[in-house]
Amino acid sequence: MQENKAEEILKSLEEEYKDFSESLKEAENTKDVENIKVRFLGKKSLVSSTLKNIGKLSSELKPVVGKNTNVYIKKMEEELARKESRLKSIEFDKKLREEIVDLNLPGRKPKAGSKNIISSVIEEIEDIFAGMGFDIAQGPEVETDYYNFEALNTPQDHPARSLHDTFFISDDVLLRTHTSPVQIRYMEKHKPPVYIIVPGKVYRRDYDVSHTPMFTQIEGLVVDKGINFGNLKWTLETVAHKIFGKDRKVRFRPHYFPFTEPSAEVDVSCRICEGAGCRVCSGSGWLEILGAGMVDPNLYRFVDYDTEKVSGFAFGLGIERVCMLRYGIDDLRSFFENDLRFLKQF
Amino acid sequence: MRLTLNWLKEILGRNDLGALDIADILTMSGTEVKKVEYPAERFKNIIVGRIIECSPHPDADKLTLCRVDAKERELDIVCGAANFRKGDKVALALPGAKLKNTVIGTSRIRGRVSEGMMCSEEELGLSDESEGIMILDDRFVVGDGFAGAMGLDDVVFELEVTPNRPDCLSVMGIAREIAALKGIGLRFDDPGYSIAEDKGLDILIKDFGLCPRYSAKIFSNIRGQQSPVWMQARLKLCDIRPKDLIVDLTNYVMLETGQPLHAFDYDLLASPKIIVRAAKEGERIRTIDDNIRELAPGMIVIADESGPVALAGIMGGKDTEINDATKNVLLEAANFNGPSIMRASKSLGLRSEASNRFEKKIDPHLTLFAIKRFEDLLAKITGHAESSGIYDSFSPVERERALTLRPQKVNQILGDPLSGQKIMEILNGLQIPSKKEGDNIQVKVPSFRYEDLEREIDLIEEIARIYGYNRFSSNPPKVNQRAGGYTPYQKAVRDLRFCLSGIGLSEVINYSFISRATLDRFMLGDRTKELVRIINPINEDFEFLRPSLLPAMAQNVKDNIKYRIEDLPLFEISKVFKKAKKGKLAQETNMLGVLLTGRRQKKGWNSEESFYDFYDLKGILEYLSQRYYPQQKLLITHKEFGFFHPAFSGTARIGDIDIGIIGKIHPHLSEKLEIAQDIYYSEINLDLFIDNIKTEKHFKPVPVYPSIEMDIAIMVDEKIGSHEIEQVIWDAGSAMLKGVRLFDLYKGEQIEKGQKSMAYSLTFRGDDRTLKDREVEVEIERIISSLSKNLNARLRQ
Repeated sequence: MQENKAEEILKSLEEEYKDFSESLKEAENTKDVENIKVRFLGKKSLVSSTLKNIGKLSSELKPVVGKNTNVYIKKMEEELARKESRLKSIEFDKKLREEIVDLNLPGRKPKAGSKNIISSVIEEIEDIFAGMGFDIAQGPEVETDYYNFEALNTPQDHPARSLHDTFFISDDVLLRTHTSPVQIRYMEKHKPPVYIIVPGKVYRRDYDVSHTPMFTQIEGLVVDKGINFGNLKWTLETVAHKIFGKDRKVRFRPHYFPFTEPSAEVDVSCRICEGAGCRVCSGSGWLEILGAGMVDPNLYRFVDYDTEKVSGFAFGLGIERVCMLRYGIDDLRSFFENDLRFLKQF
Repeated sequence: MRLTLNWLKEILGRNDLGALDIADILTMSGTEVKKVEYPAERFKNIIVGRIIECSPHPDADKLTLCRVDAKERELDIVCGAANFRKGDKVALALPGAKLKNTVIGTSRIRGRVSEGMMCSEEELGLSDESEGIMILDDRFVVGDGFAGAMGLDDVVFELEVTPNRPDCLSVMGIAREIAALKGIGLRFDDPGYSIAEDKGLDILIKDFGLCPRYSAKIFSNIRGQQSPVWMQARLKLCDIRPKDLIVDLTNYVMLETGQPLHAFDYDLLASPKIIVRAAKEGERIRTIDDNIRELAPGMIVIADESGPVALAGIMGGKDTEINDATKNVLLEAANFNGPSIMRASKSLGLRSEASNRFEKKIDPHLTLFAIKRFEDLLAKITGHAESSGIYDSFSPVERERALTLRPQKVNQILGDPLSGQKIMEILNGLQIPSKKEGDNIQVKVPSFRYEDLEREIDLIEEIARIYGYNRFSSNPPKVNQRAGGYTPYQKAVRDLRFCLSGIGLSEVINYSFISRATLDRFMLGDRTKELVRIINPINEDFEFLRPSLLPAMAQNVKDNIKYRIEDLPLFEISKVFKKAKKGKLAQETNMLGVLLTGRRQKKGWNSEESFYDFYDLKGILEYLSQRYYPQQKLLITHKEFGFFHPAFSGTARIGDIDIGIIGKIHPHLSEKLEIAQDIYYSEINLDLFIDNIKTEKHFKPVPVYPSIEMDIAIMVDEKIGSHEIEQVIWDAGSAMLKGVRLFDLYKGEQIEKGQKSMAYSLTFRGDDRTLKDREVEVEIERIISSLSKNLNARLRQ
C-alpha cells in the first residue's frame, strides 16, 4: 500500500516534470517563464504540496520522495534559469534592434580652418627643395636700390629697370620688385656651396586684371664648384614635374635677365590641351612657369666669389601663377580678396 | 614689335620660309613670338572688280544698278554709294565673303538681284570711317584677290624683343637671327655713301655724350604723294598709320633697319643749321601730336637758330612737320644717348617707336645705312634723284670689340662639350667673325652687337641660344650631401599655421599697404608714429606700409559680410613695418593676427547657437602658450588701446615677455566700419614669440598613483582677478597640488553685491604614494585659510 503510494507520487512528479518540460518548451518570453515558475514551483505547485505533505509519509518513504522531489525542483530551476537567460538575451537583442536611429543626421564636426593657398604651395615647394638639400633664406621687403638692382647687374638707366615698375620709399630705398636681392645678401654672408630658396612677398607698381601691386615669388640660388646649365635643367625639370605632374613636358627658352647669363624661361606643356593649343595657353600649347639662368659672373664680383672657381644658377617663380595654372584660378586679384569661400577651397 | 613674313622673306632673299616654323625658331632662340596673325583671312572671296555699266535703280532713288566685271564672269550688284563711275575698279565681295561678321550672299534689293557687294574701306576694316566705296587705282588687276593686291596677303608676327637686343627691333635684326638659326648666308654690306663736301647744312652737336652722331641729307623738289599700296599695307600691319610718302618712308626704314628717322620741312627751319643740345629751363615745343610740351634740362632737343624744332629721339615738332606743301626735306638719322631719352620719355609720359629704340642703345653706324635705304626706296618709288650728299657729324667711338672665348669655359658653363668648330660655325652664322688661336677662339664683336656682347659669358649665351637650350642634357648637380631644411623659426611658423588652421581658423593674406584715412580711423596710436611711406603710391589707398594687421583683417570681415559670410575665424601671418631706428631700411616684424567674429556655433538639431566671445580668443592664445611654452603662464594685463573696447583690452604676456595684445574692437570703431557684430582681435609679435621658445624638452615619468579631485567654492570681492586667486591657491598648496580648474563663476542675486562666487576643482596626487583622505583635507584647509587671509575670501557653503 505504502509502496503503491510512493510509486504514485513519483509517477505524478514525473508527469508534472513532463508537463513542465512541455510548457517550458513553448514559453516564448520571460513572462511565460515567470508563469511556469509559479505554476510548477510556486506555493500551489505539485512539488510544493508534495514537500508540504511529506510528513504524512512513512519514514522509509520520506527520504525517497523528498530526495526525488528536490531533484525535480533543482532540475526545473536550472532549466528555468537557462531558458530565462536565453529569452532575456533574445528580448534584449530585440529591444536593441527596435531602436530607430537616423544614421545620416548631421554629425558634430570639429571646426576645420584652412591654410592660405599661397602658404600651402610655398610649403609644398619648400619641401621639394628641402628634400634636395636646399636651405630656406629670407630677406627684407623694404630693400635698397643696391640689392634690388645695382648688385644684380642692373645699374641706373638700365633698360631692364623699365620692366619693373617700382615703389620707392626714398631715392635709394624701395619695395623689392623680386626676391632676387636675397641672392646677394645671402652670398655676402655665406661662402659657396650655396643651395637656397627664398620665398617672399614682392611689389610692383601695377594694378589691373593681370597685376596686383603685391605678389609672391620663390627665388632659388645654387653656387658651387662645377655647376652648369645641365644642372639647372635637371633641377627645374625635376621641380616642374613634382609641381605639375610627371607627364608634363618641360622646355627651356632663351630669355633675358640682367643677373643671369645664359638666361631662360621655362614652360610646361599645357594640361588642358595636352600641347595642342587652347585658350588657357593662348594657343601655344605651353605655359610659362619660371625664369632662370646661370648666375651672371658680374654678381660674383659684388660678393667676392671667384668666377673661375665657382659657377651657379638661379631661378624665380611666381606662386600665384603656379596656383592659377594648377587650380584653374583665372583672376589674380582673388588671392588677396580673402573671401572665405575662396580660402576654404584649399 | 610687329613685322611680317613677306618682309623677312624679302630681306633674306628666300621664299621657302613657313610662318609657324619661323615663329617657332624665333621663340626658341629668345625672341618670343606672342602672336601670329593671318590678315588675308579676313578678305577671303573679295576680289578686284571693275564697273562696266551702271544705271539708276528704277524703284529706289539712292540705289544704283551695276554690272561688274569679276574676270570669270559678270555680276549684277546693287549699290547704295554714289562715289563711282563706270570703269572704276572696286573691292568686290563675292557671295561667301565675310565682312564685319556678316556673310555676303546673293540677295534681292528692291526687286533687283545683287550678287555680292562693292565695299567701303570701313566695311573692309581698313579705316574707322569712309565715305562711299573704295575706288582702286589703275594698277589693280581685275580678278586678283583683294588681299594680295593690297599687300595684305602676309603673315604678321608679334614679337617680344628682350631689352638687351635693340638690334632685333628691326626686320634686319630678326632676319639676322633667322639666318643664323637656319644657316642662311646673309650679309648687310656697306652700300657706300656720298658724304657732302659742301656747307649746305651746318650740324652743331653741343655734347657728343647726348648725341654721338647726327647724319642728315637734304632731298629737294619732293612732290607730295601717297606711298605705294604695299608700303601702306606693311605699315598698317605693323600698327603704324600711313600718312604721306616721306613720313611713311621714315617709318618703313625705321622698322626695317631699326634706325629711327625724322623728316623736317627744310624750308620751315629758321636756318640751315641744326643744333643738338640740352633743353633749357622753361623751353617749350609743340610736338606733332599737337601737344605743347614743357621741356626740362637734361632732355635733348634738335634746334635751329630760333629754338627747338624736335624733341630728339622722341617726337618731331609741329612747326617743321612735313605737310602738303613741303618741297624740300631734311632727313635726320641720328644717334642719341639712351638713358637721356629714357628719362625724357618717362618724365613727359611720351613713348614712341623711336624712343623705344633709342632707350635700348642703337648702333651709331646705322645712320648712314638708313639714309641710304631711304634714298634708294624713294628713288625706286618716285624716280626722285635730287639730293645732297650726307652731312655727318659724330665723335669717333670704338665699336669693335675683341674677345677671347675659351671652348673649355663654354663646356664648363653649358655642361655638354661643343667642339671649337661648332662654336665658330654658330658665331659665323650670327655674323660675328671668329678665328682659332691655339686652344682659344678670338672673336671680333661687330658694331651691331657692340652693346650686348661685352664678355666671354655673353658669347657663351649666344652659342647656347643658337645651338638650342633643349639639346643640352639634364644632369643632377654633383654635390656632396647636404642637410638643408628649415630653421627653428621656419619650423615654428609652419607649425603655427598647421595648428591654427587645424583648430578652425582660415589664413588670409592681405596687401602690405594702408591709407592715411584707414590709419586715422583705426586710431593705432604709437604705431602710426614711425610709418614707412611710399613716395610714388598707385593711389592714396596704397600710401603707407601697414603698422598693424588689424585694419586689413577688419576689412576682410566687412567684405565677407557683404556675401552674408558672417562667422569668421581668421588669422594672418605677415610683416608690419615701421621706420628703422638705424640704417635706411624699415624695421620689419612678423606678426600673427587672430580675429574671431560671428557665431562659434550655428543652431543645429543637437546644438544651440552661440557666439564667439573674448574667452574663445584668449583660449587660442592659451593653446599656443601651452603648446610652445608649457612651463610658462599666459597673463593678460589690462591696458587700453584706442581701437579696443576700454574694458576688453590688454597685453598678453608669457613668462616675462610681452608678446602682443588682445581685445574686443571698440564699438565706435565697429560702427564706423559699419560692422554690426562683435570682433575679437589679437596680434602677436611672432619674432618675439618664436625666438623665445625653448625647444629643449625633458621627459617626466608618467604618474603611477591615482589622483584625487576636491571642489571648493569661495566668495571674494568681484574685482579680484582669477589669476590672483589661482596664485594664492598654488602658493598655499604643497607639491601634492597638481591642478586648479575654475568650474563655476557666479555673480548675482544669490550672493552679496560686489562679491562673486568662484568654484574650483583641485587635483591632488602623491608622487610616491596613494594619498589618504586626511592628507587632502589638510591641504584644503590650508588653501582655504590662505585665501581667507590674503584675499578676504569666505568659503561658500
